[in-house]
Amino acid sequence: MKMKLSNIWIVYHKELIDILRDRRTIIAMVVFPIVIFPVMTVGFGNLAESSVKKARQQTSKIMLLGDEHARELAARLRLTEGIEVVPPAADYAQQISDKKLRAAVEFPAGFELALKSEAKEPPPVQIFYYTGELRSEAAARRIEDATREYRDGIVQQRLAARKLSPAILKPVEPKRQNVAAAEKVGGLKLASFIPYFIIILCISGAMHPAMDLTAGEKERGTLETILVSAVSRRELVSGKFLLVLTTSLVTAALSLASYFGTIRFAGTYTRELTRGYDFTIGAKAMAALFVLVLPMAILFSAALVAISTFAKSYKEAQSYLGPLMFVVILPAIVSMLPGVELNAKLALVPILNIALVIREVLTGNYPWGSMAFVFASTCVYAAIALAAAVHMFSREDVLFRA
Amino acid sequence: MADTPLISIRELTKHFRTFQRREGVWGAIQNLFVRDYKTVVAVDRITFEIERGEMVGYIGPNGAGKSTTIKMVTGILVPTSGEARVNGFVPYVQRKEYVKTIGVVFGQRTQLWWDIAVIESFKLLRRIYDVPQRDFDERMELFHQVLGIRDYLHTPVRKLSLGERMRCDLAAALLHNPPLLFLDEPTIGLDVVAKDHIRQFLREVNQRYQTTILLTTHDLDDIEELCRRIMIIDHGRLLYDGPLGLLKQKLLRTKQVKFVLKDSEQVPRVSGLARDGLRLEKVDELTYRIVFDRGQVSTPDLIRGVLGTVEVRDLLIEDEPIEEIVKRIYAGEALREVSLSQ
Repeated sequence: MKMKLSNIWIVYHKELIDILRDRRTIIAMVVFPIVIFPVMTVGFGNLAESSVKKARQQTSKIMLLGDEHARELAARLRLTEGIEVVPPAADYAQQISDKKLRAAVEFPAGFELALKSEAKEPPPVQIFYYTGELRSEAAARRIEDATREYRDGIVQQRLAARKLSPAILKPVEPKRQNVAAAEKVGGLKLASFIPYFIIILCISGAMHPAMDLTAGEKERGTLETILVSAVSRRELVSGKFLLVLTTSLVTAALSLASYFGTIRFAGTYTRELTRGYDFTIGAKAMAALFVLVLPMAILFSAALVAISTFAKSYKEAQSYLGPLMFVVILPAIVSMLPGVELNAKLALVPILNIALVIREVLTGNYPWGSMAFVFASTCVYAAIALAAAVHMFSREDVLFRA
Repeated sequence: MADTPLISIRELTKHFRTFQRREGVWGAIQNLFVRDYKTVVAVDRITFEIERGEMVGYIGPNGAGKSTTIKMVTGILVPTSGEARVNGFVPYVQRKEYVKTIGVVFGQRTQLWWDIAVIESFKLLRRIYDVPQRDFDERMELFHQVLGIRDYLHTPVRKLSLGERMRCDLAAALLHNPPLLFLDEPTIGLDVVAKDHIRQFLREVNQRYQTTILLTTHDLDDIEELCRRIMIIDHGRLLYDGPLGLLKQKLLRTKQVKFVLKDSEQVPRVSGLARDGLRLEKVDELTYRIVFDRGQVSTPDLIRGVLGTVEVRDLLIEDEPIEEIVKRIYAGEALREVSLSQ
């Protein structure tokens, strides 16, 4: 059966007008992708920054246990800026858990004696703290820094006593020097999670229209009235699919634009993120991104249309698409894991392959061979999904599922 | 071409496979693993022909197979077996070309764009059916004359009343001037005035353009006012196909007259109406019903009798409900013989 482009366009045009009147689509397709990045980057960034600053400014309440064994070090700790020593108590561990106390230091018996006698294995100074708790970590760090300073002083003394130069301790000194292009350095950090966002937004923007145009139509009972019109089922599903694809791409494009806009114009947090390098994305990278995202968006849109066509109602479609979302997010998360690199096998895994290739492009690499391969394999998956969607739409038992 | 019927249906059959659910929690768990399917015969080997310009009523109780027949004849569903030839097309094979020659209205759903002004839907349909602008304008003018739809062309469909929406739906179905019109319960849910409007319009279209109309309905008045021919379907089988007059003569045996007395003083006189061939029933204090056999008692005589005996405030003559007739036809073999040997 021949398909008429004008009919597909009519369907597309109709659905477009319809969907633009739908607030849910506008929110998912336009508002959400534009707003999420500035809010996340600036909001979350500032929040993180301010809480780090706060933790730094606050003095840490600590307890010294057995300070009679290490009078010198204990005195130094008491004088250290940012540390407030409170009288020892037996329930220090509980107090730390309750966040009343930030940390406690235990000096072992015979500590000073071991120092003086230059014992081979001096008993360790124990620091008790709350792992992962920001302020407790800060307190522990302050104690460590002060103790290290104290240790370095002792080392200096011992070297001086033996008439040795401090240089003896540092026969070799490695030093790092960055040679990568600014784009790569800046891109690396960003590159790990941009693909994730592109993928999520690509599918989330298309979700509502896909369900509304198929399952929703069934639910409203308007499917029959469309099926008796002089538009073939293939033209119908094509028009609907193209509209879903449009929303998917618009969502992805807007989110990318918003993302780079945020990076360029937002405040302190992003500067730290890009390590002070000017992070820009060139036209070449943009084009490459688009070419890679396109087949993935086709894959998503076709899969969404196929699945929601099967569903009897909007609600049923939602419950099918929930697990699908998980299936999509999982490879996207895997792509963010450090050490996951593109190889021949991973290039075949849908979604993950795109995520990894996007990461490469964002860090300024263009592995043309793998890019072509990933593009081709995604095109194959997209074609399969599209065929499934068309097939679904031509099946009477699916369209009129009771 | 002139001699061949416009619609020719042979042994048309549609089976649906439905999933049999078991009851209870244990049944629900079993359902997950073992599925029993049952084949439901929605339409069972029906055969009929409709000539150009005919207006045919297609009736039957809910679930009888009316809508399934319409869906097959309009090309939405593919029959399990049998054949259909409509206006030279096989609907489910040449669907796209075919539907350009038909108009379809589903009474309970609209083909119009819900949130958007009616005129937008018309413009969209004009493009789908390639209707030239001049023809389009001409028809819009006609629709306005007969249906009076111009006043709400710029109103979104969701704000229209059911009657207004139905008029627009009819106009939409006839926009491409099809020789064939299928109506699935076109008057459902409409008030008396709106029903009358729709019927008038259908008559007009049928007479002016020789449009062939097949309509399903639950409302016997639709049939009586519009159709000379009636087809009755139940359990997927075509039970009667013939003139409405014959059906009424043969099958509408009983009628009923319901009347409300003017005041309670009239009550004792009611017993004076009792006669052979009728049954007198009391509905409430002042309301009575007389069920009578049309073969034995003439309706005008009975009415005259009622009006001469008691003073009434209100009087209503009712036919037997359509389902009752269909039920009787289905049960009574003798009646079936009568109807089929017409």
